[in-house]
Amino acid sequence: MYKRRMVVFNILRGLAAIILALAVAAIFIFLASDEPFEALKQLLIAPLVNFRGESAAFNVQSLYQILALMIPTMFTGLGVCVMFSADMFNLGGEGAVMAGGFVASLIAIYVPMPAGVHPVVAVLVGTLVGGLVTLIPALLRVKVGASEMVSSLMFNYVVMYIIMHYLNNVFADRSKGSTQSFPFIETAKIPQLVTGGSRLTYGFLIALVFVVITAIFMYRTRWGYQVRMIGVNPNFAKYSGMNVASTLILAQFIGGLLSGMGGAIEVLGRYNTFLWKELPGYGWTGITIAILARNNPAFVPFAAFFLAYLDRGCQLMSTHSDVPSEMIAIIQAAIFLFFAAEQFLSGARQKLVVKNAQDELAAMEAKTVQEGK
Amino acid sequence: MSGFWSTVFNAEFVFAIFRITAPILFAALGAIIAEKAGVTNIGLDGMMSIAALFGTLISYWTQSWLVGVLGAVLVGMVLGLMMGFFALRLRTDIILTGIAINMLGGGGTIFLLYMFTGLRGNTSSLSSSNILIPTVKIPLLKDIPVLGSILSGHAVLTYLAFILVFVVRFMLNRTSTGLNIRAVGENSNAARSVGISVKRVQYIALIMSGALAGLGGAFMSMYYSQSWNVGMIAGRGFIALAAEAMGRGQPVGAMLSSLIFGFAQALETRVSGIQGVSSFLVAAIPYLVTIIGLVVFVWSSKRKADKRRRQISTSDGE
Repeated sequence: MYKRRMVVFNILRGLAAIILALAVAAIFIFLASDEPFEALKQLLIAPLVNFRGESAAFNVQSLYQILALMIPTMFTGLGVCVMFSADMFNLGGEGAVMAGGFVASLIAIYVPMPAGVHPVVAVLVGTLVGGLVTLIPALLRVKVGASEMVSSLMFNYVVMYIIMHYLNNVFADRSKGSTQSFPFIETAKIPQLVTGGSRLTYGFLIALVFVVITAIFMYRTRWGYQVRMIGVNPNFAKYSGMNVASTLILAQFIGGLLSGMGGAIEVLGRYNTFLWKELPGYGWTGITIAILARNNPAFVPFAAFFLAYLDRGCQLMSTHSDVPSEMIAIIQAAIFLFFAAEQFLSGARQKLVVKNAQDELAAMEAKTVQEGK
Repeated sequence: MSGFWSTVFNAEFVFAIFRITAPILFAALGAIIAEKAGVTNIGLDGMMSIAALFGTLISYWTQSWLVGVLGAVLVGMVLGLMMGFFALRLRTDIILTGIAINMLGGGGTIFLLYMFTGLRGNTSSLSSSNILIPTVKIPLLKDIPVLGSILSGHAVLTYLAFILVFVVRFMLNRTSTGLNIRAVGENSNAARSVGISVKRVQYIALIMSGALAGLGGAFMSMYYSQSWNVGMIAGRGFIALAAEAMGRGQPVGAMLSSLIFGFAQALETRVSGIQGVSSFLVAAIPYLVTIIGLVVFVWSSKRKADKRRRQISTSDGE
């Protein structure tokens, strides 16, 4: 009874945080826009509903686009879930995504392979490179004691500039106006799942498979248990004989692998050539997703869908009204702050706890009275 | 080769080091105060970006650089208060609170700029020389050869950054506020037991941290780049965190670490103009230097601590 009430309370509390965040967004829209209602309609309804004059219809292509947006962020979200579960704030997901995407692109451009094998090999190599990107800050933390947060942030910039160097000076396609690589060989591309320009590829299914794998890893294996236990209480983990150092390193490495895979799949599925000129931002979205999912991989697809929906809404809003798409940053920050706030609605939780205690007391009294008869 | 060295290392180069160091130093001092109070302010980068934007806007509206700088400081303080509200009152993890502030500093500033002015991405159309932070020529000093061209002619805020190093050191070591801050950071329970309001002290520390980040932001948009644009802070708030760690939380140490970064970046701007040098690889140097510096300093302090422990244990054995 008590447990169910708390679950319901936590769900309502999460919803309240999201609604509050959207309310903050609405306030900013009213301040910024000359047509706030049109902007809000585009943000909240248009991602799934197509308006033509008076009639409205469900927009399937737009749904596909939302699902396509989820592909890289599901991977980074899963990666962050694993990394943050161990209570390590490794922010190298950003760099891992870009490095994974870049290296996978190089294989897609320069190493001819048979159709079925090519994307698999390219993605796997990209995955491994992503793992290395988060492994280095993890090693520095465990072996030397340098803050993984600071070193991973710095390392993101190093990774970005090294990639930009190679993209500009070694692998650039000079025949194009903007900086980009040569086109991928056709065999390397990840096939589309549906027709149309949505870019919803098989990567989406792979992402869902990895949701299951990561959930099993975190909740059904010894290593996952160790990762979570270190996050809850590192001293307990240490004194009960767990190898804390190697588990921490493992968790960060897995986080990077997932992020790198996300980057590789995104690049090979969405584009024909490598053209990222800065860190793509999926690593940060991954952090928001992990927070919404409370570090539980099973909730990652829902959180990713929610953010992809908002992302698409913001894009539509900037196209069809006068509000810039960067609105998404304000919404994300607000979600972050309210959703992760332990004391948000703490008064209501207190009341709930008191009410439960009173109910239980009343039940006990009723029982003793009956027994006394 | 001697031509290379003389074009890279000269008085102008040393001047540039101080100019580049100043904004990082402001933020590093902000990082120190927050860290000393036991709250890690990872939001410095976003705070700088937001304050930089408002510094430019307020100086444009009032046509006064001083009001602009003060406005940026005020915005920094409000952001510090906001971090305090979420992290201390609502108990959001302080790291996540900082990340949220950084998100606001990224995309959020683009939105805010549009909301206030209708401009997209940068404020170069608003800038004019009369609302930039002025430079000062120091009498007498400016006439000394070499030294004069290195130390004179900086912006007011550059001098302020280096003065604040000693102000912050004094504040932390010699005032009751500083004592409270350090007490809370060392052991919040002990501090509470002697009647210090831990939350209040942490609020104050975050607000001071925000004010310093505000100065760093104003320096960036109102002097360094002469206008505000997206991504102009380029991780300086994070580098400041590294400088804080490298300087072991001491203002003077953080100043030296910031100077190392300033040196690396001054070198970058110098070398990137030379033929055959990849500007991208050179651009990575400051960040790489920060990582290496962080590792070396943490490692050496750990070794020192180990050595001390060993000495204590051997003297115990006697």
